[in-house]
Amino acid sequence: MSRLVHRLGWPGTLALFCVLGFVAVGILAPWIAPWPAQGAGAPNVAAKLTPPSADYWLGTDHLGRDMLSRLIYATRISLSNGMLIVAFSLLIGLPVGLAAGYFGGWVDEALMRVTDVFLAFPALLLAVLMAAALGPGFLNSVIAVSVTWWPWYARLARAEGLVLRGQPYVEAARLAGVSHPRIILRHILPATARPLTVQAALDVGPALLTAAALSFLGLGVLPPTADWGQMVDAGRKFFPDRWWYSAMPGVTIFIVALSFSVLGDALRDRRKGAARASV
Amino acid sequence: MKRRDFLKTSALTALATAAASRWNLALAQGSGIFTLAYPTSFPDLDPATSFSNDGAVLANVYEGLTRYIPGTETEEARIEPLLAESWDVSEDGLTWTFALRDGVKFHDGSPLTSEAVKGSIERTKKIGGGASFIWAPVASIETPEPLKVVFVLSEPQPLDLIASAGFAAWIQAPASLEQDNAWFNAGNDAGTGPFRISRYEPGQRAVLERVADYWGPVPEGAFQTVLFEIVEDTTLIQNMIEGGQADWTYSVPFENLEQLQANPDLRVVVNPSFETLFGLYNTRRAPLDRPKVRQALSMAFPYDDVIMAGTANLGTRAKGVVPAGIWGHDAEAPIPQTDLEAAAALLAEEGVEGLELVMTYSTSQSLSAIAGELWKANLEAIGVTLTLQPMAWEAQWQLAKSDPATAQDIFVFFWWPTYVTPYDYLFNCFHSEDQPLFNLAYYANPEFDAMIDEAARLSGVDRPRAEQMFIEAQRILIDEAVAVFMLDRPNVHIIRSDIKGYADNPAYGHVTFVNDMSR
Repeated sequence: MSRLVHRLGWPGTLALFCVLGFVAVGILAPWIAPWPAQGAGAPNVAAKLTPPSADYWLGTDHLGRDMLSRLIYATRISLSNGMLIVAFSLLIGLPVGLAAGYFGGWVDEALMRVTDVFLAFPALLLAVLMAAALGPGFLNSVIAVSVTWWPWYARLARAEGLVLRGQPYVEAARLAGVSHPRIILRHILPATARPLTVQAALDVGPALLTAAALSFLGLGVLPPTADWGQMVDAGRKFFPDRWWYSAMPGVTIFIVALSFSVLGDALRDRRKGAARASV
Repeated sequence: MKRRDFLKTSALTALATAAASRWNLALAQGSGIFTLAYPTSFPDLDPATSFSNDGAVLANVYEGLTRYIPGTETEEARIEPLLAESWDVSEDGLTWTFALRDGVKFHDGSPLTSEAVKGSIERTKKIGGGASFIWAPVASIETPEPLKVVFVLSEPQPLDLIASAGFAAWIQAPASLEQDNAWFNAGNDAGTGPFRISRYEPGQRAVLERVADYWGPVPEGAFQTVLFEIVEDTTLIQNMIEGGQADWTYSVPFENLEQLQANPDLRVVVNPSFETLFGLYNTRRAPLDRPKVRQALSMAFPYDDVIMAGTANLGTRAKGVVPAGIWGHDAEAPIPQTDLEAAAALLAEEGVEGLELVMTYSTSQSLSAIAGELWKANLEAIGVTLTLQPMAWEAQWQLAKSDPATAQDIFVFFWWPTYVTPYDYLFNCFHSEDQPLFNLAYYANPEFDAMIDEAARLSGVDRPRAEQMFIEAQRILIDEAVAVFMLDRPNVHIIRSDIKGYADNPAYGHVTFVNDMSR
């Protein structure tokens, strides 16, 4: 524990536990939600818009569903949303970036100009356009955000590829007649894994935030699936008299976003420190 | 980035409100001002093509030949003379003669004549936009005398009703007939109504001033100025009406009305609207092509829960497709009750198992979403999986108009009539069509078609008989469960209690006739 604090600092450690806590909540949703059926979407109209109480700790929504259970179930959706976005983006960005970095020349030029086209659009705007074109739905929102996300990985992977292709062990492999795909797969990819994994893990937070923004705009999951962004939106019109409806998911998003960004900062500081120490 | 933008927008909105309310207060001290907080902008102020919320402004500026007054529990619905003083119809229902009111002047000072009526309607027909289709049965218009206009129809239609339409039925000054759409949307007008447009800032506000020599009665202490403030945010709207910066509004969420009802400064006026929510079954696709399967699904619909959760119990159970307040409404309709056991039994009897259905609705309709979510839960209990598919209205409609074989299973939407006749609902949504337009159940029943067509022919000459036939036709729809008739939406308007003479008229949606009111 103290070693963890030493490495990440107090805020970083706290953030790490928050993130792990959310992952645990997401995995264990059906077992820890006080009203699992309502979390999954079963209406309970008799109790609609109840303020926080002993039965419903965080109040209920416009169909009488327990906010706490809804938030717990939404954690599932949001986390898997974030992870899928990052996975999809890696799937596209990694090969594109590695190829560009490793081969250089016209391959690099061609691939990176395509990447630049995607980067030229404001990320959220492009995601909204994509989502609007594809229509709402869980998978569609994942695809929409991934489209704006992969270029970052392509750039990162390209930088790594550029550095690694000049390394003596790579040149040795090439002289030994190893084929290009094999070099990329066996000698370059493993070396890029560490920086990319850290980046990817940290990106889950911002990715799920973007997905929440989409569902706030009505372009995310389909009802009755719970989602933080969609809950903030649904509660908005009741806000003056029923603060808890928008506030609870809002606070949840706030905590998750803060945790991921604090953790990200802590890890970045640590990497910088390590880099300096090794020089 | 998202959050920062959001903060910026909120800050701007707050600033704008502060500025707007200061302005309002300054004006409100002059008293004779009636302020409407209106949640949507006014896209088209041309009386020939307007077909949206602009009617709220235009109905105070222009007038038609007649006005529809909906029925209440004590009174029958009737058609009131407006610019026409009286009218006659020939026995075959083809020739309608309107006697115009004498002494009516347009805002430019020119008198109302039969030529102006003919010119207005011909301009509307010629441009062919908005609701101009209501004049389709008119073959020719004759002007035998300055105050007498004769319509010759190609088929018998209730022209007195058509002339009372909320859109496309306004009469405009002859001098304005050559003007284009841009002229009207610059804030110019050419009506006969009690007010004229004095200032128009698109997307912001419209200001109307009373005209000096209005032909109609004007109550004592009547308003001199009408101010439409366009406020899109419902929270802001609620603040304005509670704080007295607005005298009238709508679009406050049903759930928040209780608080407003408890406020002695406010009056919450609830009336039936002519908007009805229903879901059309895809009658071309198995197993929805079997009436019994559709009946089972309708029996699983949680009618009371949707009215409770979606409208805070202000809505009413739909009895067929024609809502209360319209002639041809069937108060005694044999509507199904929610009964999951009977629904499950009926499905089992039909041998339907593991049914999966897709329901489409417009993203902007939160009431449809609530209906869908509650229905889905009930259907799950009887082994039917309902997928809710919210779509942009254009996309939802496009999908439905394509091949019925690949379209949705259930199409949920609101319908309201352009002019008040049951034929509008029954023809548009259920009359067989070669190419689907609004009959998105793809329903085709020649017997039903013949019945409503005949009723429409009779509605100009023998209205009681026509009404009976429209009711019979609706019973066919209920019996065959062509659609699930969910609810009639309540029309909720909120008005400051110190306003006198306010009367809601659901035939014209969210239109307020300010002339009759005073503070």
